[in-house]
Amino acid sequence: MEKWKERLNKRTAPWLFLSPYLVLTLVFFIYPFIYAIILAFYQTNGPKSWNFVGLENFAFVLADGDFHIAVWNTTIFALSSILVQLPLSLGMALLLNSKKDRLKGVFRLILFSPYLVGQIFVGIIFSVIFMPRYGMFNRFLQEVIGWGLEKRWLENPNLVMPALIITAMWMYVGFNMIYFLAALQNVDQNLEEAALIDGANPWQLFWAVTFPAIKPVVLFVVVMSTIGSYQLFELPYALLQNAAGVAGYGPKDSGLTIVGYLYRTAFESGDLGTGAAIGWLLAIIIFTISFIQMKIGRGLETE
Amino acid sequence: MPKFPYGKVPFWILLIAISTGIFNLVATLSKRGEKPDLVFVSFARSHMEAYEEATEEFQKEHGVKVQLQLVSDRTVKSRLQNAFLTNANVPDVVEILADTMGTFTKGPIEDVGFVDLTDRLHAEGLYDRFVESRYSRLSRLGRIFALPHDVHPLMLCYRSDLVEELGIDVNTLQTWDDFVEMGRRITNDLDGDGNPDRYALDLPANGDMLTPLLLQRREPLFTKNGQLKIDNDTVVDTIIWYIHQSRGKDRIAFSAGWGQTLAKTVTDGLVLFYFCPDWRTKYFETDTPHLSGKMKLMPLPAWEIGGSHVSTWGGTGLAITKASKNQELAWKFAKVLYLKAEDLGKRFKASYIIPPVKDAWDLPEFKEPVPFYTNQPIGALYAEMAKDVPSNYASPYYELARNKLNEVFINAALYYDKNGDDGLKEYIKRELARVSAYVENRAQHNIFYRQQIANR
Repeated sequence: MEKWKERLNKRTAPWLFLSPYLVLTLVFFIYPFIYAIILAFYQTNGPKSWNFVGLENFAFVLADGDFHIAVWNTTIFALSSILVQLPLSLGMALLLNSKKDRLKGVFRLILFSPYLVGQIFVGIIFSVIFMPRYGMFNRFLQEVIGWGLEKRWLENPNLVMPALIITAMWMYVGFNMIYFLAALQNVDQNLEEAALIDGANPWQLFWAVTFPAIKPVVLFVVVMSTIGSYQLFELPYALLQNAAGVAGYGPKDSGLTIVGYLYRTAFESGDLGTGAAIGWLLAIIIFTISFIQMKIGRGLETE
Repeated sequence: MPKFPYGKVPFWILLIAISTGIFNLVATLSKRGEKPDLVFVSFARSHMEAYEEATEEFQKEHGVKVQLQLVSDRTVKSRLQNAFLTNANVPDVVEILADTMGTFTKGPIEDVGFVDLTDRLHAEGLYDRFVESRYSRLSRLGRIFALPHDVHPLMLCYRSDLVEELGIDVNTLQTWDDFVEMGRRITNDLDGDGNPDRYALDLPANGDMLTPLLLQRREPLFTKNGQLKIDNDTVVDTIIWYIHQSRGKDRIAFSAGWGQTLAKTVTDGLVLFYFCPDWRTKYFETDTPHLSGKMKLMPLPAWEIGGSHVSTWGGTGLAITKASKNQELAWKFAKVLYLKAEDLGKRFKASYIIPPVKDAWDLPEFKEPVPFYTNQPIGALYAEMAKDVPSNYASPYYELARNKLNEVFINAALYYDKNGDDGLKEYIKRELARVSAYVENRAQHNIFYRQQIANR
């Protein structure tokens, strides 16, 4: 009896401890996951009316000009994250990696803290900063270079994306810097010293010793930044809203992202089926890009 | 005591998990208290504050409990949609923005989550008490799904001290041409830095005022039958007018925004005239109290001599949900909130929003002078406009159409910045045709809307 009890305990114990997580995953992930797959092939009107439409939702989205705009905007933002934000984060991490700086901890906190306040708060703050005439940004430009007092950053479709990129940089540069800083701390000091003895300049030291050592973390940060960029929604929505309640996607949808397009379709137009189709297309896009990035990254590591 | 079979640490984790669960359950159940007979959701704090007294009286009179819930205006639509979909926490009575009514009435009548009030309104002789044009925003397929809360006639409010200082007689501003001529005289760069320091008119830079201006010209975005109607000469004309006032060296308009920047713009006198529906009069009074006695209201200039001076901006309706188990009680509550004469006067004083109930406008509160607006009886002024407020028909694609109209405006404004007036009219016509086709395509993608149109 005791042996049987012990055997039962050993078998059931793991499931018992996993059960809260499994129940939550089933209810909040697996069920919605399956529901979303089914929903993408239907059009609905309220809880009672469902109409099977096959691939019509997907075809509609792929042909929709607004979807193309959303993909373009999101891709531009993602590229700026990788090509502008991450090098800036890496640069700051290299500066803060110096052993001699006693204020290292303070600067780390200062640079990381914008990330702590959240996208909505940052979006609202920057919507005030970018205001024409009274916003801090335009006042600064007018004082320093005598231009730009009435520049409409958030009302000119050509300036919305730069404004969004600037806002995102303020928020995320410090966050990504932390990853790079942790990676730099683990670079073998002996290798660096050996390179310096061999006469390497700082640039050569970085490319020959430091960067190869932190490559896995760089790949991780690039993939996570890409995924995060393609999931962008709250920041442009908060930045581009106006107090009259008009939707936060910017003039000519210049701040419309794929998730913003999904939100507009599913929740503003009430078209849940098409919204689910957009969600699946987004998942495919993110998966494809991440897969390619990891393949490239692993290929470079092997070299 | 037998040892816990999985060890001390799992034991304490399990104990903490169970006690937390029990605590949360007890705390939630104790907070719930008695279930209310009616749940009323609104998005406007000013409305809720105005309803408190009436709600207390209603509760006492009927021996029921009514719960008032304030929800953000951004979320009331999505929360209501979710509530309808899951049939969970559906309020009994809800105030919604008129712009969103179309989303809830997209498909067949039987799918609409609101009670059809048309027959009740006629049977109880209430239909004619409201300004008829206000039903247009809250109806679909000839059926009325919400009681109109307001009329929201549109006027211009202005810095009367500065306007008088400049020697402008507002009585001569009968048409928009008169206004623009005045605007070009007074819009000036006073300190020589290349930026005007005084503008005549507040016009949103994204084209948001296009819809109210088109309504003034009796051009709603949709017809009564739900057809999009923006591809015409009046719309082209209005867009060109808007561009000329907000771009280029002859512009007379600045986009003052909302909140703090609007308050600063008004205080600094950067802009003299502002579009002002009744609901905005309270914002100015609250945000710039130091300007009391320096603000006044005037009717909109007409588009042509003898034309209409009346338009409208915004709207709210009160709907009863089909999920409510107390629909009769909800209807009684709705009538108390929206039709009880004694309360309507008090509510006007609290919010300056005039009700769509015509017989309320004779109440003394509407004729009282308002010190902030230089003792003008603003209630009477708005009431004078209210009976002529134009219809503005609902559609599931209203918000999309409005956004696309703004897109045409932005595109046209950028075209104008590069090319001036050369080819502008043709460009706008092409753009309007493009977005009309886009909205139509969107509508046709919706199988329920397609069926609805086909079944007409």
